[in-house]
Amino acid sequence: MRRGLLNASRVKRGGASWQRSFALRGRDRSDMAYEALDFYDIDALLTEEEKMVRDMVRDWVDKEVIPNIEDACRDGIFPDKWRVDLGEMGILGAPLKGYGCPGLSYIAYGLICQELERGDSGVRSFASVQGSLAMYPIWDFGSEEQKNHYLPRMASGELIGCFGLTEPDYGSNPGDMITRAEDKGDYYLLNGAKMWITNGTIADLAVVWAKLDGVIRGFIVEKDDPGFSAPEMTGKHSLKASVTSELVFQDCMIPKDRILPGVKGLKGPFSCLNNARYGISWGAVGAAQSCFNSTKEYALSRIQFGHPIASFQLIQNKLSWMLREITKAQLLAYHLGKKKDDGTWIPEHISLAKMNNVDIALEIARMSRDIHGANGILDEYPIMRHMANLESVKTYEGTHDIHNLILGRHITGIQSFTREP
Amino acid sequence: MAIGVLLKQVPDTTAKIGVSGGRVDESAVSKWSMSPYDEYALESALKLKESGGGDVVAITCGPARAGKMLTDAAAVGADTLMHVQIDSHDSIDSTQIQSILAAALERAGCNVVFCGKQAADTNGGSTGPGVAMLMGASCVSHVSEVSADAGGYLALRASSGGDERVHVSAPCVFAFDKGSEELRRPNVRGIMMAKKKVIETVSPEDLGVSMGESRVTVVSHSPPPEKPPGQKFEGADSVATVVSKLRDEANVI
Amino acid sequence: MDVTVIADSTDDGLTPVTAQLVGAATSIGGNPTVLCPGGVGASEAASISGVSKVISVEGDCFGTYEGGAWATALDSQATGDLVLAAASPRGRDIAASLAALRKIPIIQDATGLEVGLVVSRPIYSGKAMETSNVEGPCVITLRANAFDAAPDGGTSEVSTVNQSADVGLAVKEAIAKASERLDVTEADIIISGGRGMGEPSNFSHLNEVADMIGAAVGASRAAVDTWEEIPHSMQVGQTGKTVTPSLYIAVGISGAIQHLAGMKTSKYIVAINKDPDAPIFGVADYGIVATWEDALPALKTELAKL
Ligand SMILES: Cc1cc2nc3c(=O)[nH]c(=O)nc-3n(C[C@H](O)[C@H](O)[C@H](O)COP(=O)(O)OP(=O)(O)OC[C@H]3O[C@@H](n4cnc5c(N)ncnc54)[C@H](O)[C@@H]3O)c2cc1C
Ligand SMILES: Cc1cc2nc3c(=O)[nH]c(=O)nc-3n(C[C@H](O)[C@H](O)[C@H](O)COP(=O)(O)OP(=O)(O)OC[C@H]3O[C@@H](n4cnc5c(N)ncnc54)[C@H](O)[C@@H]3O)c2cc1C
Repeated sequence: MRRGLLNASRVKRGGASWQRSFALRGRDRSDMAYEALDFYDIDALLTEEEKMVRDMVRDWVDKEVIPNIEDACRDGIFPDKWRVDLGEMGILGAPLKGYGCPGLSYIAYGLICQELERGDSGVRSFASVQGSLAMYPIWDFGSEEQKNHYLPRMASGELIGCFGLTEPDYGSNPGDMITRAEDKGDYYLLNGAKMWITNGTIADLAVVWAKLDGVIRGFIVEKDDPGFSAPEMTGKHSLKASVTSELVFQDCMIPKDRILPGVKGLKGPFSCLNNARYGISWGAVGAAQSCFNSTKEYALSRIQFGHPIASFQLIQNKLSWMLREITKAQLLAYHLGKKKDDGTWIPEHISLAKMNNVDIALEIARMSRDIHGANGILDEYPIMRHMANLESVKTYEGTHDIHNLILGRHITGIQSFTREP
Repeated sequence: MAIGVLLKQVPDTTAKIGVSGGRVDESAVSKWSMSPYDEYALESALKLKESGGGDVVAITCGPARAGKMLTDAAAVGADTLMHVQIDSHDSIDSTQIQSILAAALERAGCNVVFCGKQAADTNGGSTGPGVAMLMGASCVSHVSEVSADAGGYLALRASSGGDERVHVSAPCVFAFDKGSEELRRPNVRGIMMAKKKVIETVSPEDLGVSMGESRVTVVSHSPPPEKPPGQKFEGADSVATVVSKLRDEANVI
Repeated sequence: MDVTVIADSTDDGLTPVTAQLVGAATSIGGNPTVLCPGGVGASEAASISGVSKVISVEGDCFGTYEGGAWATALDSQATGDLVLAAASPRGRDIAASLAALRKIPIIQDATGLEVGLVVSRPIYSGKAMETSNVEGPCVITLRANAFDAAPDGGTSEVSTVNQSADVGLAVKEAIAKASERLDVTEADIIISGGRGMGEPSNFSHLNEVADMIGAAVGASRAAVDTWEEIPHSMQVGQTGKTVTPSLYIAVGISGAIQHLAGMKTSKYIVAINKDPDAPIFGVADYGIVATWEDALPALKTELAKL
């Protein structure tokens, strides 16, 4: 929020300003209320409960995330207070029922993602990984003991989870993963490495996908298990307020009761991804709304050639394109949410929404950056941050083109992921 | 013990207020919220309940739209919700609204009452002291903190020289200023519970209040008076002129 | 028409509002009787011209402030169909209690009063005005400085009445005001300094003015960025706080668009700047072209006179 490249004398930096901005919290009633773009009145389709959840998260993002996000990005941390708050609000694992989980509708889960990502994709990533990628597999494929042991404390934010599927050499093609588990009678022995794992270093447990006798299985690895380490990956220009790590297993011994009994094969990780991708289709809308608001305000107040730039046709054309794409993205996300809620969805529906919504959000962020002129590169505006974040979002949870291939297979019945039959 | 909290739904303080046809256009209000001082009253009532038990009864008198605010109150912990429905605040005067609220409090069995020192729409400040008078209760105004104390309550209130801690026994009314506590956030569990909570909706007649005629009639609403165009003065000697204008023209000091 | 005026006072005597209440009463043809709770300011009240009589209401209850008890004690002395009080914290409180006791309506914070009775007042924190008509007896509180004060020169009689009422509360502890500075988002008046203040230590002059009028102190971003001593929490503007006080005083601030974004909706804006072409003058209601070194001492002197 604060700094600027404008003043040569950057006297104050680092820790002090971090504390200072936390002190800014409180009900700042004089700030203008955030008005989300909702051209087709999606609001009218929401239940009272969904709106209350959405407003709760929206307020939290206004008060906790937006004033602090630039500091978090600069320091490359996910503030622990956010974990505590998300747990207290009770939105982790939103659509899961029982075991201390919220049991909200998929629409409500989508709205939560939308509001979190309006703040920052890193915050939404934290919630997606915790809820859809770590809690969900335990909830769906775990034993009764595993569910009772982990889920309530994950829902409250006390335990953080992560999801280890991608490997240094296998990204879009996880089926060929190298990480192996061996049954040693009394325990399993894990060997291999995962990469690009969100929350890895700060996680208390990891849901790790590894091959046992050639079949992909899910294992719960706890942070203190012998032979396990999770070094942080640094140097990201994107999702800077999110922790990304490697997971390294060197003769890592885990007890027998940590295997997820309920699933075998790629279906396990893919079911998790379905839920997370669904959330992303809403999250992208939030990031796009944030860019749109900033751009509209900027274009109306920036005067060039004697007139607000918003009065020029080229700018209006861009704004109208943004409005159009955001509105379509909202309708996609909402309709998909209804299908999730009534169980009539297929994974290809999700691919389409994830791919489309992230794509337009990224394009909107780039266009917004352009309209903000030089100011657009400053961290005074959320634009460049959203733009850089969305580059990750475009790649993770199935790259844009992998979703094209999923749809291509759906249309033609011919898979084109690989040349092998 | 029933702890009463009087809440009013008002346009959010960040909302634009427009006037059309001689009336504030309520349909153009983008967001309705609980009046800010009421939020502190509610927070303090919840704290009191947590420390000493009891039920927090949230009461509002207002049009149908105000029900949502009671559900919001339930989401942060209000136990019982009562909505006295009237068509509009325009057509009733202070004596009527106070009789309604006093009757609602009596029906709910509340002899400790929390409210805001004034609502953010009319910015009046009559409700707390007025209701207290009708209840035969003491009213402590400009309160920022309340706790249970030796058979009664200890309240921190603003006084001319600073703050004062005053002791008071029930029946009593606390009219809240900005409180010293941070307001709690709702959470999903609270929202789910709030959804199930029934709002008792009653009419003034149900409470045995015969409304009669309002003795105050709103003639019109209008936009605030236009400010005179800016004036520029040379030199520090003009400070005296500016100060007197601030006092007499602008009425801001 | 008999009008009862409840005098507005502090421990030091009457506030200037009392004479304004009298002025308002006489402007609509009223015949004001001034009630002085606890006897404070009775002789001062008697010297306000136009006052018909002053009643000093004395009793034990006036030793502890409780609006309801004070209203009860004053009630027996209040005559006429109209009671006027100040829209000060205590004035509003006593007036509302009295109205409820008498079961008559109250209108708070009026800025206009005409025979009829037609009352106007700001609503929604000044975003609109309301004009209403009251029939029969009522209580009205008046905003300070909205009405012309009655001049000095009265010579009315002062009578003393002993009248108390039950006080339901007891003061256990008085806590002196901590001189903690208000946050800019909470203040009704803000005085902000910019790079033109020269040195961060010069903000002490702004603090002094702020203390006199209960204002918060704000800053431009140039001040915040340049000086360690000026925290970001004071910054007003696009990347600082958005404020809408009744009065915003900008001192040594040029008025860059990003600063204006945070304060241009303030109700009144005063600018003190040595550069007559500074853009801040474009939004100022009252602009003073002067250095702060000259203007602030003068401001302190004038404010002290209020
Ligand atoms: C910030 C961040 C966080 C992440 N968090 C996690 C996590 O928590 N857990 C986890 O398991 N993983 C995580 N990932 C990893 C992510 O899922 C992978 O990066 C993603 O699956 C793509 O894999 P890759 O990077 O190896 O790219 P590759 O698979 O090497 O793809 C490179 C390019 O080739 C294209 N491509 C690949 N195959 C084909 C084909 N058959 N036809 C046409 N084009 C093709 C892709 O579309 C892409 O453009 C994260 C990634 C990032 C950036
Ligand atoms: C993206 C972005 C966001 C920004 N956000 C904000 C923001 O939130 N808030 C903000 O304030 N700025 C913000 N700025 C910075 C803004 O553009 C200006 O740089 C800043 O407001 C200038 O501060 P100033 O008026 O104190 O300093 P200057 O522009 O240097 O003005 C100093 C003024 O003091 C006057 N002066 C000098 N000496 C005296 C004296 N002795 N007596 C009286 N007057 C004197 C001068 O005439 C001059 O007008 C932002 C900029 C950008 C690009």
